[in-house]
Formats: sequence, structure tokens, C-alpha cells
Amino acid sequence: MITISAGKRYLPAISGKPRAEIEPIKPISFVAAIPESIPYIKPRLHVKVGDHVNIGSLLFTDKRRTDIRFLSPGGGTVHRIDFGPRRVIREIIIQLDAEEKQENFTPISRDDLQHVTGRDLLGRLTEGGMLPFLRSLPFRDIVDPEVAPPSIIVALSADEPFHPAADVYLAGKKQLIEYGLLALKRITDRVYVTVDQQQRRVMGDFGEMITHTLSGSYPACDPGVLLYHTRKRREDNPAWFIQGQDVLLLAQFLSTGKWPTERVVSVAGSAANTPTHFLSRMGAPVSAFIGDSIDENSIRIVAGGLFRGRKVRQASFLGLYETSLNLIPEGAEKTFLGFIRPGYGKPSSSRTFLSRLNPKDLSVDCNLHGEERACVNCSSCARICPVDILPQFTYKSLLVDEIEEALEHGLLDCVACGLCTYVCPSKIALCETFNAAKLSYYKEQARP
Amino acid sequence: MKMLEHVFESLRKHFTGTGRLSRLKPLFEATETLFFIPAHVTRNGPHLRDNLDLKRFMSIVLVALIPPVGWGIYNTGYQTLHAAGHLVGTGTALLKGLEIVLPLIVVSYTVGFFWEILFAIFRKHPISEGFLVTGLLFPLTLPPTIPLWQAAVGISFGVLIGKEVFGGTGRNILNPALTARAFLFFAYPGQMSGGSVWVAIGNLKNAAVDTISGATPLAVAALAETGDEIHQLLNHAGFSFGTLFWGMYPASIGETSTFCCILGALLLIVTGIASYRIILGGIIGVLGSGFLLNLIAGDASPAWFGLSPYYHLVMGGFAFGIVYMATDPVSGPGMEKSRWVYGFFIGVLTVLVRVFNPAYPEGVMLSILFMNLFAPLLDHVEIRIRLKKRIPNV
Repeated sequence: MITISAGKRYLPAISGKPRAEIEPIKPISFVAAIPESIPYIKPRLHVKVGDHVNIGSLLFTDKRRTDIRFLSPGGGTVHRIDFGPRRVIREIIIQLDAEEKQENFTPISRDDLQHVTGRDLLGRLTEGGMLPFLRSLPFRDIVDPEVAPPSIIVALSADEPFHPAADVYLAGKKQLIEYGLLALKRITDRVYVTVDQQQRRVMGDFGEMITHTLSGSYPACDPGVLLYHTRKRREDNPAWFIQGQDVLLLAQFLSTGKWPTERVVSVAGSAANTPTHFLSRMGAPVSAFIGDSIDENSIRIVAGGLFRGRKVRQASFLGLYETSLNLIPEGAEKTFLGFIRPGYGKPSSSRTFLSRLNPKDLSVDCNLHGEERACVNCSSCARICPVDILPQFTYKSLLVDEIEEALEHGLLDCVACGLCTYVCPSKIALCETFNAAKLSYYKEQARP
Repeated sequence: MKMLEHVFESLRKHFTGTGRLSRLKPLFEATETLFFIPAHVTRNGPHLRDNLDLKRFMSIVLVALIPPVGWGIYNTGYQTLHAAGHLVGTGTALLKGLEIVLPLIVVSYTVGFFWEILFAIFRKHPISEGFLVTGLLFPLTLPPTIPLWQAAVGISFGVLIGKEVFGGTGRNILNPALTARAFLFFAYPGQMSGGSVWVAIGNLKNAAVDTISGATPLAVAALAETGDEIHQLLNHAGFSFGTLFWGMYPASIGETSTFCCILGALLLIVTGIASYRIILGGIIGVLGSGFLLNLIAGDASPAWFGLSPYYHLVMGGFAFGIVYMATDPVSGPGMEKSRWVYGFFIGVLTVLVRVFNPAYPEGVMLSILFMNLFAPLLDHVEIRIRLKKRIPNV
């Protein structure tokens, strides 16, 4: 077991951490697939309103690579398909039957798994709509099964505030994880399993399975950060990665031959009433977790983490990869003489507020806490960057279209953690610039 | 507070859209945001932002400037009254000091903000907080005897040529406050040379003398002949190490007290606003080059060679310059190791200018401006070295 430290970076502790308990959610009658929440894909619909679908029926494919299939998270009738501007498919909502039917795939027993080739396995995963759970660095697009990966990183922990804790969602799942890892090892020998050092129970129970333990603040548990710290040559870069809960899905799919839907979802954040974990299912409605009486003007609902998540409404649904809901106050209020207050309750990663001496977890909101200004070269971003890009210089080179220089700085190592944007005293959206540059570079590189 | 909010709300319509004063929008916004951090929220991820903004960033520098400003006011008043032959009490010294220093600060801010606002209106961008610091740093580098019109001309040059021609805050190559001072230094050497004592006397009733001429510590040192012991000459002239450290002697308003600069430096370093690397690098540079000169000092070498390096730290404006001027993030380097080098060479150059260039008794200003020019190069070299070690990902 190797311990990787992601450097000395200070992030203030945020209030609203979920309790280490799992509660059931109330019964739901709708689930949805959210193509919009899956980066890069161009969905082509294979169902229309009124069609009957089973759990695991084909809903849509990716126009770029038609072998990438997205299957239905529920059994019932297609209730509504929500289109956005330029007919982008936002939501495919399915009304559940009382008795949901399932599609059947061929299960593989644990003993047979030893004899399956990686190619065969990937074929089954593609057929079963499991491929989207495997993604490849640096662009985090769905993997191309034709290209063998240098390694697969299994990230059991997600330390972005707030995601389900590994200790919670992995309780009693040791066999399943073992099976899943065995399957991944059919694809490549180099499977790295990482977990946050603070997840004591997992560290104890899964001892021999874990290859890397991670210490440090967010985003120490990100697969991109691990790759940055462990890679030896440039060929190591296009590693694949998969999140812990998705390994469970993969294992369930392969061992039972049924399309799995189980998800542990955390509901947390400074504005959450009782931050906790819920046992729920894929594509569950947001209102099943938090009710539907939240004032959306004063409280922001984020599907995913507070740094990389997507702003959603309570009438919306969770996406394919999303396993958390975070609620924080919108904070659209003016602060009187804010620039000179001691700020005992105002979290900051700088040392300019007395909150640095405050041992409590502090409440956060969505306020910018200032106005956008020119960069003053303060280097706050360079100090906090987990993969040692020089954000202020990279940002300036991107502003003058020096993409080569930005790439040389390590633009593609960027894990899009958003910390540079977070700390910037000039409130410059550095991360947005990087994401846009990466996206346009990826499109240029894409196969015709 | 509610009332103030109401006042801004009722005035807003005149400054926005088709309002009569819409051209003055930056001025309105600057005033409003001085009182209220606006209610803007993040649009998408990251949904959180740090509480630190540029206003607080710059305000902390202003707070760190309180000791030198306070001491500068007291000391200026004290020296003035003392030279005029009065018995000086603390209160009277402060009042006298305020009478001399306050007009300088007011002129600096007024003229400087006039240019800032003018550029903000024509460039249609908000007024930057950077000038809050520049506008206070500049008068502190001036001798109390400087005519107000010269201060006005100086700060105009500093803001226009030092900053705005490059595109405004964040894009300037040189430190604007030092650019302003350098302009005065070369344009009006009579008032600025750094050689003669600066004591404001002119308008005192019953003054014992009209003007007073003497020498600053640096000039005393510069006049030393081969074979002299500089610190003895300084002691003789009334500049003991203690006097120089605490700052009880006539010189530019803010630069005299090394102690006050240390107080400011501590605040800046604890809050992380200024880079301790630049400050320590500068001190190492001064001590290192001072010791080196000590080593090669012989009987025939100039007196400067034998001066204890510690004296360089407390003489002239070194402490003030390295704490408040060299740590300006915009004109300094952005890489951590470059900051050591940058500070180090400021220290070395300061000593070299003092020792080897009899034309300029003081070298801090010029060495900081000189190293400002090298900051991008230092960054470039460090980035190159760093990228060589990085495993490429293209």
C-alpha cells in the first residue's frame, strides 16, 4: 500500500457533512435519464413518448460512437422527453410500473471470470450499457474499448464536499468489490485502487485490495491527481478511471446479468436540514431526497459536489454519475464594509480572516464575495493547484491563444477541481477558461 | 446601514443606463462597493468562492502601513519643531506632522484618483483598488519639504506612465509609486536628491532658522574618507544604530523607522499578502553583500567597505522599500523561487549603489525598479526549468 500525499493545501472545513448512516428514500414513481449531464455525448433517441421500457432497455445511443449505449434506469412507460434549446435532450422521464420488468443479460460466475478475456468482457459491458462508467483521462470522456489503457484507477473515495463516504456505501460490499476488481483486472493488470486515509473501516476491511491510500484535502482523491503523482512516462497519461459506486454497478451487472440501479446518495451542505446518506436508485428525482418545498431563490441545489456539481431544480433528477445532492444558501445579499471585517465566521483559504482560528465547520454560500478585477499575480492559484499547473500563467497564455504553451504547462493534467477559481481574490473564472480550452482542444483532436 | 443602502438605490438610476451621470458609473460603483460587497452569486461550478477579494487584499496593506504613517507623522512634526528650536510635546508634534503630511496624502489620493477615474470612464472598466495602496505609499517616500505641486506632478506620472499606459492595474511592469518617486528624483533633484536633510520649517512662526541644511545618514556615510569608520561618523552626527532603527531622525516621511516596517512586515507575512521570500531574500542580499565588502575591505579601500552590514538594513529606505515596495505582486515575479532571487538582488543592488555610486546616496528605489524589469525574466527561467522536469501530457 503506497501513501500518496497531495501536498500542503489549506481548505476551510465546510459545515453540513453527511452522517455515517443510510436511510431509505420514500417510494418514487418517476425516474429519468439525463443525457445533458453526460459530457461530450451527442445522444440519438431510440424511444418515444408512450413506449414501454424495461430496466436495461435501450434509451439512447451516442451519435459519435453508436456502440455506446445508455439503458433505462427504470421499467415503465416513457412519460415525457424534455428538450432544451436547439433540441438538446435534457431529460427522458419514465413513469415506473408497479412491477418493473428487467432485461436479461448473461451473468458470469466468479470462477468463469478467470477465463474471460478482457476483450470479451468489454464487449459485454458495451452491450450492457456499462461502458459509460469507465472514463479515460485526461478528457474524462467515455473510454474507447479498442485502445488498451495503461492502467485503471478505481477511486473508492470522492473527497469533494460532499459525496457518499466510502465507509458508508461500501459497508457489506466487500465481495462485490472483489468481484468488480477481478473483472477490471481482466482488462489490464495495472488496476490501482485508491481510498482516502480517513476511511478507516474500508482501510481495515479491504486492506489487501487497496494499492494507494491518499492524504490531503480535496481533490487528493481525484484519479487525475493520483496519476499526476504516480506516472513515470508520458504513455501513462491516458489512464482509465472508475468511481467506487460504479464498480459496484459493474460487479452487480456481470454477476447477476441484471441492469443494476442501486445508488447510495448523500444529501449534505450548509443548508441541508439533516445531512445524511440515502439508499436510492439511479435517476431518482431530486424531490425524493429533499422534498419539494425548498425556496430555490434562497437555497441552491447542486447535483454532485460543490466545486464541480451541476445546479439543479427540485423538480429535476439525478444524472448517471451523480451520487450527491448539496444544498447551500444562495447568499445574494450585500455585506456592509465586508473588506475590513475580522471575519471569524467567514471561511477562506487565505490567512486574511480570523476564521483561520475558528475550529468549527463554517457555513458557505454562493456569493462571489467581491467583484471581478484584473489578475494581480498574487499566486494564490499556483499555491492551491493540486497538479502544479501555474494557473495564472496558463490562463494568460490561453487569453492570447498560446495553446501550445498552456499544454506545456500541463493544461491536460488539470483535474477541473475549480480551486483556482475558488481562491482567486480577483474573482477570475480560471477553471472555466481551462475547461473551454480543453474542450476545444479535444474537439480538434477528435476522430473525424 | 439600511439608510445607506437606500441612498445608493435612489441614486443608482442617475448613474446607469440612460441616466444623466451614466458616464460616471465607475465612480458610483467604486463608492458603493466601498460600503457594500455586492450581492453577486456564482453562475455555475465552483459554486463557492473564497471570502478574500482584492479590496480586502489591498486594505490589509493599508493596515500594515498604519505604523509607518503614524510614526512618519509624529516624526515629521517632531523634527520640524525640534529644528526650529521648540520644546516638543507628543501632541504638538503630531499636530504639526499632520499639518505637513496630510496635505501630501490628500494631494496624492486626489490627483491619482482623478486619473484612475478618468481612465475607468474612458476604458469602461471598474476602478481598481490597487491605487488605494499606491496613493498612500507615494507620499511616504517623499521628503516633507516637497512642494505639493511636485507631489501632484509625480503621482500623475506614476499613474499615467507607470500604470495606465500599460493597460492599468495588473498589467504594469514597474511599481507605480516608485515610478512616481523616480520621476521626481530625476526631474527635481534639488528637492529630492537624498543628500540634504529634509526638515519642513518654512511656515513656522518664530523659527530660529529659516532653513536647515545638514546631511542624512546616507550622505554622512557617502562623505566618509578612506580610513574613516562610518558608524563613528554616524554616531558623531547623531545617528546611532538605535536612532536609525527606531527612526527618530529627519528623512523621507515614511522610511525612517525600521521598527515600524517590521511591524508592517509581520502583518503582511502572517496574512500571506506579501511574500516573505522577497523580504528575507532582500535581507540576505544586503547582509551577504555587506559581509563580502567587509571581507575585501583593506586600509586603502573606501570607508563604505568596512561598514557593518547591519547598518545597511536600517539606513535610508531599505526596510520600507523591501517590505512595501518590493512585495508588490504585480511588478514582482510570480514564482516562488524567483521571489528569493528577486529579493536577493534588490538587497545586493541597494548596497552596490550605495557603496559604488557616489551620485546616488540611496539605492533602494533604483534597485527595486531595476529588478521590476527582470521579474518576467526570472519567472520565465524558473518556469522553463520546472517544465523540463514535468512529464508531458499532450
